[in-house]
This record gives sequence, C-alpha cells and structure tokens, in this order.
Amino acid sequence: MLQALREIEGGIQLSLNVAARAPRLAIPPIFESFLRQVYFTGVTAATGVVLRACLLGVIIIAALMDMLDADVDLAVKILLLLVFRELGPLAAAVVVILRTGTAVSAEMAMMRISGQTRALRYLGIDLYDYLVLPRVAGVMLATAVLTFYVQFLAVLGGLALSPFLIEATFTELAGRLFELFTPVDFYYSVIKSLLFGYAVAACCCWHGLNPPDLTQNAVPKVVTRAVMQSAMLVLLINAVFAYVVFGILFFGLVKANV
Amino acid sequence: MSELAIRYRRKTARHEIDVSVPKGGVTRLHVPDEEAKAHLVTAMLKARCESDEELELFGESASALAPAERARVRAKVGAVSPIVGLMANLNAWENISLPAAYHGRPTLEQVAALAREVLGAFGADAAVFFARLPEELGVLERKIASFVRGLVAAPQIMIFDALEDGLSVAECRHAARFEAEYRARTPQGTLVYVDTREEA
Repeated sequence: MLQALREIEGGIQLSLNVAARAPRLAIPPIFESFLRQVYFTGVTAATGVVLRACLLGVIIIAALMDMLDADVDLAVKILLLLVFRELGPLAAAVVVILRTGTAVSAEMAMMRISGQTRALRYLGIDLYDYLVLPRVAGVMLATAVLTFYVQFLAVLGGLALSPFLIEATFTELAGRLFELFTPVDFYYSVIKSLLFGYAVAACCCWHGLNPPDLTQNAVPKVVTRAVMQSAMLVLLINAVFAYVVFGILFFGLVKANV
Repeated sequence: MSELAIRYRRKTARHEIDVSVPKGGVTRLHVPDEEAKAHLVTAMLKARCESDEELELFGESASALAPAERARVRAKVGAVSPIVGLMANLNAWENISLPAAYHGRPTLEQVAALAREVLGAFGADAAVFFARLPEELGVLERKIASFVRGLVAAPQIMIFDALEDGLSVAECRHAARFEAEYRARTPQGTLVYVDTREEA
C-alpha cells in the first residue's frame, strides 16, 4: 500500500516536473535526445507493425462479415469505430510498451546503477531535463504517429480483404469509409494516443530512475514493474475515455434493455 | 599562511581525516580506504557534506551554502574520477561536449578546438577518438575524455581520483601530462590527487 502511494506520488511529481520543463526541449542535447527517442519509438517500430496492423484489419472485417451477415455499411462503420477509436491506439500502445517501455526502463535503471545519473548531476545536468523530458515528449509524439500508421494500415488491410468476402469493390468500401469518417474520430484517437504515450514513458522513466536496489538484479524487476504498470495505465485511460466519451459525453448513460 | 582551496574533516569510529589543500598548488591526498576516498571526492564535487563531515571550499563552509551559492561553488570543481564517469550511450565527442551544449557555454567550436588541442598533446587522432563509444576506448582514453570534459568547464579545482588505477607504466607516464595540460589553461588552479595508496 505504502509502495503504491509512493509510486503514485512519484508519478505525479514526475508529470508536473516534465510539464514545467517543456520549454527546455529546445536546448540542443535535449532536442537531440528527443529526436533519437522519436526515431527509436516511431520510425524503427514502423516496419515491424506493417503486417500486424494489416492482419488486424483483416481479422476484424472477416469476423464482422460472418457476424453481421455481410452488412457492408455496418461492417465498415464498426471497422472504423473499432480501429480508429479503440484498437488502433491500443495496438500502438502495446507496441510502444513492448519495445520502448522495456528499453527506456532498462536503460534508465542501468544508468542509475552504473552511476551515470550521478555523473550527470555532478556535471550540473538536471535528470528531468536530459533524461525524462525528451523521452516523455518523444514517446508521446511517436505513439501518436504510430497510432495513425497502425490505423491506416489496419483499415487498408480490412478493405483490401473485403472484396474476397463480399460483393463490393475496394473503391466502394473506401468511399463508404470516407463518408462515415468524422474529424472526431481523428481527434479522439490522437488525444488518446498522446495520453498513452505520456503514461507509458512517465511510468517507465519513474521506475527506471527508482530501482528497488542498486544491483544488476534490479534491472529485470524494474522492467517487469514498468511494463505491467504501463499496461495497467493504458487500460485505465482507455476505460476512462470509453466511459466519458461513449457513456456520458455523446450518448448519455446507455440503459440496457433486459 | 597561504589561502586554502579545500578544508575537509571527517571523523569516524575507524579513522579521522583532516585535509587542507592550499590554493594554486598541487596536493596529493592519501586516504585510508575506498569508502573514505569516495566520501571525500563526493563531498568536494557536491559542495555538500554529511553530518560527520566538515567542508570548506575557497573559505566558504559547504553546510552554510544556499542552493544557488552551492551551484556556483560546484561549478569551480572538476574531476577525473570513476564517480563522474562517461555516459555509455554517447560517443566521446558527445560526452565531452554534453555539459557545454547543455549549459550553453563555452561554444561547441571552442570545445572542439580545446579537445583537439588536448587530444593532440596525447597523440590521439581527434576524429577517430570522437567517434568512439566509451566501451570502445581504453582505460587511459576514457580518462583523457573525462579530463577534456572537465577542462571545458575551466574548473579552479581539478581532482584526479585514483588516476593511475588500471593504467600500465607507459600509460601512467602519459597520464602525468594531465597536470601540465591543466596548468597551461588554468595557471592559478588547484590540483588534487586523491588515492588510497601511499607512494613508493
């Protein structure tokens, strides 16, 4: 219980520190570190998600066609809602947690254990400025871009498969998709993915900088905790968004007909 | 009596250390063990002392310093020490230029010029040296990189912590050049060698 409270307090403190230091992102070594993080999280992950994202769209459209008895309009609508609002950001967040979350937490823990964070302090370099801020900002931006990339590929994959399952051409389906698409879908997923990126990076940085002890054995513990809590935070944010947007903001609380 | 750059005292159950370093000179300090050495170097680098320590830097008591004053005093102290190691994921140039790039002074051109000059004095090819990661550098090369990074800040006190540790006899001769290189750039500076062994 005490540990949980300490982690929540640490997370809040780290978030406030990062927010207050945002203008320092313009300092050259911090900006370089930010670009490196964007490259690692966004660019190098991009090739790895192509097949996964396409398969995601294919699976959704294939399952929907079966369930909805080839109702094209509804299938395209559900593909849009599922991929753009829910699965796209979530799939990107999973990739970010698995690749970047593990790397960031392990790197920070190693830096802490080997005394590199101490060296930075002696050189008058603030750890939040140099280590935390560029990683948090970089992961946020990269997660948003990766989300858009996953959404695009998943929808493309779904639409590309559809002509093999139903009597509709790719262009017909794409046209229907663009009719149904609203800017809200885009804003919703961008805000959500930015928050996902923020939660993952902040959680992993905090755990990396606060290992349970200063031995090599602490590294796997740090990574495990960081990944588990990042996943928990992402699901929590997703649930809050779903409740606020679908449950209250747009439709009011939905009453089920029993 | 000459003015003191450092005055340090620490009393524990095992030993008592009382150190006075005159300003502008070269002083060799021999402490009883690694723990005592780490305490001494850390206190000087932090300009802060533990409850069992007393530290004065340039006549100012570390325990009485306000945060801004402490930062000012800390900026006067540089070190070649395992405590202030290199960043493993940055190459030698990034390590050397990091403090200057972060603090915005001196300029990177000045840092590059200084680094090339010092590396030249040690017979190293700057272009090759700069591109290497710390794990690709030898022990002496890592100490040189650390020394150049320290020189960039033009510290008034330069601490050499266990300078000869891990070096061969030939490399120790090379490392002896650190003193001359520091003196050439900071003639009034104070040099402190800290080690746990007595000299032969």
